[in-house]
Amino acid sequence: MESKRELKFDAVVVGGGIAGLQTALDLADQDFKIAVVEKDPSVGGKMIRLSKVFPTLDCASCITTPKMSAAAHHKNITLFTYCNLNSLVREGEQIVAAITQIPRYVDPVKCIGCRQCEYGCPVYVPDEEQGGLNARKAIRIPFSNAFPQLAILDAENCSLCGKCARICPTDAVDYFQKPEDFVIRADTAVLATGFRLTPADQKKQYGEGKIRNLVTSLQMERILAPHGPYQRVIRPSDGKEPASIAYIQCAGSRDKSFGVPYCSRVCCMYAIKQAMLLSGALPIADITIYYMDIRAFGKGYEQFYQNAKAMGIEFVKAKVASITEGEDQSVELQYENQEEGGVETRAYDLAVLSLGMIPDWNPQGICDAAPGEDAFIKSLMPKSSPTLTTMQGVFAAGAALGPKDIVDSIIESGAAAMEASGYLLEKRRRT
Amino acid sequence: MSSHIARASGENRTMASETEEKVGVYICYCGGNISDHVDVEKVAERVKHIPGVAVSRTNMFMCSDPGQELIMEDIRNGAVNRVVVASCAPALHELTFRGAIQRAGMNPYLYEHANIREQVSWVHHGEAATDKAGVLISAAIAKAKLMKPLNPVRVNSKNHAAVIGGGPAGLRAAKDLSGQGIKVMLVEKSPFLGGQAARLDTLFPSRDLAGELVKHLVREVLNDPDITVLTCADVVRSEGYVGNFKITVRRHAPESEDHLEKLDIFRKSSASAGEFVPFAGVCPSEIPTRDEEFTVETGAIILATGFKTYTPNTGEYGYGDYPEVITLPQLIREMSLNPSRGGSLEINGRKIRRAAMIHCVGSRQIPGIHEPDAQGNLNEYCSRVCCNATLHAANEIRDRYPETHVFDFYRDIRTYGRGHEAIYEKASHNKLIFIRFEADEPPLVEKAEPGSPYPLKITVRDMLTFGEMIEAETDLVVLSVGMQPGDVFDLADMMKLPKGPDQFLLEVHPKLRPVELAKTGVLLAGTCQAPMDIGEAVLAAQAASVKVAALLSRGYVELDPFVAEIDIEKCKGKGNCVKACPIEGAILPAEREANGQIVGYAEIVPALCNGCGICAAVCPENAIDIKGWTLKQYEAMVDAIATA
Repeated sequence: MESKRELKFDAVVVGGGIAGLQTALDLADQDFKIAVVEKDPSVGGKMIRLSKVFPTLDCASCITTPKMSAAAHHKNITLFTYCNLNSLVREGEQIVAAITQIPRYVDPVKCIGCRQCEYGCPVYVPDEEQGGLNARKAIRIPFSNAFPQLAILDAENCSLCGKCARICPTDAVDYFQKPEDFVIRADTAVLATGFRLTPADQKKQYGEGKIRNLVTSLQMERILAPHGPYQRVIRPSDGKEPASIAYIQCAGSRDKSFGVPYCSRVCCMYAIKQAMLLSGALPIADITIYYMDIRAFGKGYEQFYQNAKAMGIEFVKAKVASITEGEDQSVELQYENQEEGGVETRAYDLAVLSLGMIPDWNPQGICDAAPGEDAFIKSLMPKSSPTLTTMQGVFAAGAALGPKDIVDSIIESGAAAMEASGYLLEKRRRT
Repeated sequence: MSSHIARASGENRTMASETEEKVGVYICYCGGNISDHVDVEKVAERVKHIPGVAVSRTNMFMCSDPGQELIMEDIRNGAVNRVVVASCAPALHELTFRGAIQRAGMNPYLYEHANIREQVSWVHHGEAATDKAGVLISAAIAKAKLMKPLNPVRVNSKNHAAVIGGGPAGLRAAKDLSGQGIKVMLVEKSPFLGGQAARLDTLFPSRDLAGELVKHLVREVLNDPDITVLTCADVVRSEGYVGNFKITVRRHAPESEDHLEKLDIFRKSSASAGEFVPFAGVCPSEIPTRDEEFTVETGAIILATGFKTYTPNTGEYGYGDYPEVITLPQLIREMSLNPSRGGSLEINGRKIRRAAMIHCVGSRQIPGIHEPDAQGNLNEYCSRVCCNATLHAANEIRDRYPETHVFDFYRDIRTYGRGHEAIYEKASHNKLIFIRFEADEPPLVEKAEPGSPYPLKITVRDMLTFGEMIEAETDLVVLSVGMQPGDVFDLADMMKLPKGPDQFLLEVHPKLRPVELAKTGVLLAGTCQAPMDIGEAVLAAQAASVKVAALLSRGYVELDPFVAEIDIEKCKGKGNCVKACPIEGAILPAEREANGQIVGYAEIVPALCNGCGICAAVCPENAIDIKGWTLKQYEAMVDAIATA
């Protein structure tokens, strides 16, 4: 039997989103050798998929790519993309990560990212990178500023017509590529496994995902992104430019019917940000945000909220009770008006579910870092060493430790890097 | 003689062809941020014909890997030897492109940046935007043609850091830095370590004791031989630059009211040095009786100078007018001093049957509604911790004193963090009565009607019951006061550190570089940057420490090469530059021997020079230039703008 490839690093960072990249950079800048293991074909995490970020309104691409690029080209960082982490265990003094490279069906050494395969491919499927709102090919570069710029073939949808293999100028397409198992040995690990949105189709009262013009907040990020699915703001069902847009806050947070009792911490701010961007794109549209409490707690956030109010965005204090599809494919919200009393129904051309955050990864069966009651990784000493997990030598950062915005994730990544680096030095002094 | 001249000119010609300027121009769409207003292709076509331009290319995201690859490919195959990128502000991507150029094997300073986003597409539209983009790029090309390779200034760095502030953030930073093998000096203004955390009782959401946390953090610092702790100490001077700061600290007998009050608590407690005293902290050493000054050379400085709580104005919600109106820190202290349980809470011997908490006092202030302070500042920001702290305190009251009822007057409940929503939920289970008010109709606190069993009455429009006016009588009003930056303005002025409109110290980028200041080597930790809770302040301290560890880990630091350079052939040693230079020691008068005579000239200390160019402006001989920004380059840029 062929023995597995084994690689040695000082630290392994699980997750290549903004938290993982920042952790890796902060460690690599001290000349530690770092492996970043990412399950997606590109690093960049959720942040690279956003339109703009609050409260600076910087375009997300513009401020994420420098981090991606800095990590990708750092002499001390190796990125392992499209890789599954099978286990992360302690063996004596070491942390051992068992990893499977998922086949791209494209030779990463030969592929030059020219996209000829993508242009030639005849198979169209919904593009998850664009919230499923437009199409991609079965073989494609994941998105325009993805790193690495390697094509990836989606075997499930590929018709095996062979066109991409014929077109490829470097002979990189390999239909017979197999998953490859390998092992990374390191002294320490940082979990930066991030979040995903609460599922939009779970709540019966919110239409179980069947209302055509009720989109998720990440779909709206794509609609607002400059290189998004429509290149302008229109609603999915019929391409109409919406004259009225509603945000339903706490859809999937502070809501036990979703199994998510906690606050997801970012939804107020991203809804306000999106509302501002929408009022820029559609100056005459009416935009309403239905909220329980506006939680603009970070630096500059309250001022951002007050600006949104001054711009004419309407804020209605109400927990939306139910959502249905109305006439002309509109979205109807039923809610109790707390300021004036009575149950009201209002129809909108387009509505957005401000979905919350749940962990994107469950350590169970993979590593000994225990989750907390909320299923995010448990912080062992939340006040004095917040990035410590219950597993010795393993730290966590970003949304892996609970819902968090970008700046708080960046700070936490620095803190996790500090702990990991202290742990590495301490270990070197001991041995 | 003639053959010598011929050879020399032949050499020159060869050199000229090797260094012939081949400028590559790379123009970014910025995914629409630029191309929505600037016709990028048209600009690329226009600048292509400028003499010296070898290629002119565009990309959706020039900063993305394919974009960078375009530039690197042109460099590697010899098509270009100067690079102009036209995209966003250089603050975002200058380093990205310098890195790409360096990876392609070229000197990274043969690069010029034209900002056609912030300076063009975000502020101009239509043909005017396209024209201006073309003009700025033409100027950048003109400059690029005159660029020379530069090398960063390398200076040795001290393996030492100074941490200013002895609260949780400062303590954590000191300990983490020492773990990196860096010697640390911790400077604390007051006689005590522990900061504001020493004034808390139990912490939200865990109910752990703040005192235990402070003891733990202080013990780690005091037991560490690599950390020197100086209490009762002010930073009185700071000079130098990353890797080589020199700060002067003065220890003196405590003077401020706050410090004297803490000392009083400490002395009454009969605790000895090194022991934790609630509401004071840990006094690690003798209190100085006379002034002493120390000067320390240090590689980096972490500011962990903390916050102070907002003091309500007299009459604000009855504060100062009625003794029954107190602040949340006062309530915490009262409850901590009297650890009884059962019945009703008692304060100053008075039984509290009802207590009313009022949120957002000194936070979320709105122009036109709230009164600015004496300096004209309004605290428009949310203080982040008060909702949790207030509900946590209310829960403590309800848990300990079932007969004390609590009203809670709020605007929005911001229990955002992990475990925080449970505090809010518990408050509901604890039968707190929530009343929601709008900023422009705050609760009115007055003396109750004669004959009322309660001293105070609160009137408010409640937005939870459809805007009805309600009245509540109460024994106690607790003002949930916000956070303000600590008194660090002298220090900030001395170190020339920027502060934001909210008066907190201002980070380089609020999203991506929250613990860094524009001044390299000086970092922010904790509530001097923005309101945050203890765990968050500790995280910020660790994030700041890891930056310091990276800065100092190599034993040297590299500084930008954009510093003054003197042409000593032209310099006549008149000394105008030495007088005009705003940085002490950056230009020094010197002497040299020329043709058997001693002549004066000026010498630059590159590590200290910040490249401001004042010396170049005052030099009567035109003997000074700023590397990378020479007068010739400026002239060429102006000419290009005038003729574009």
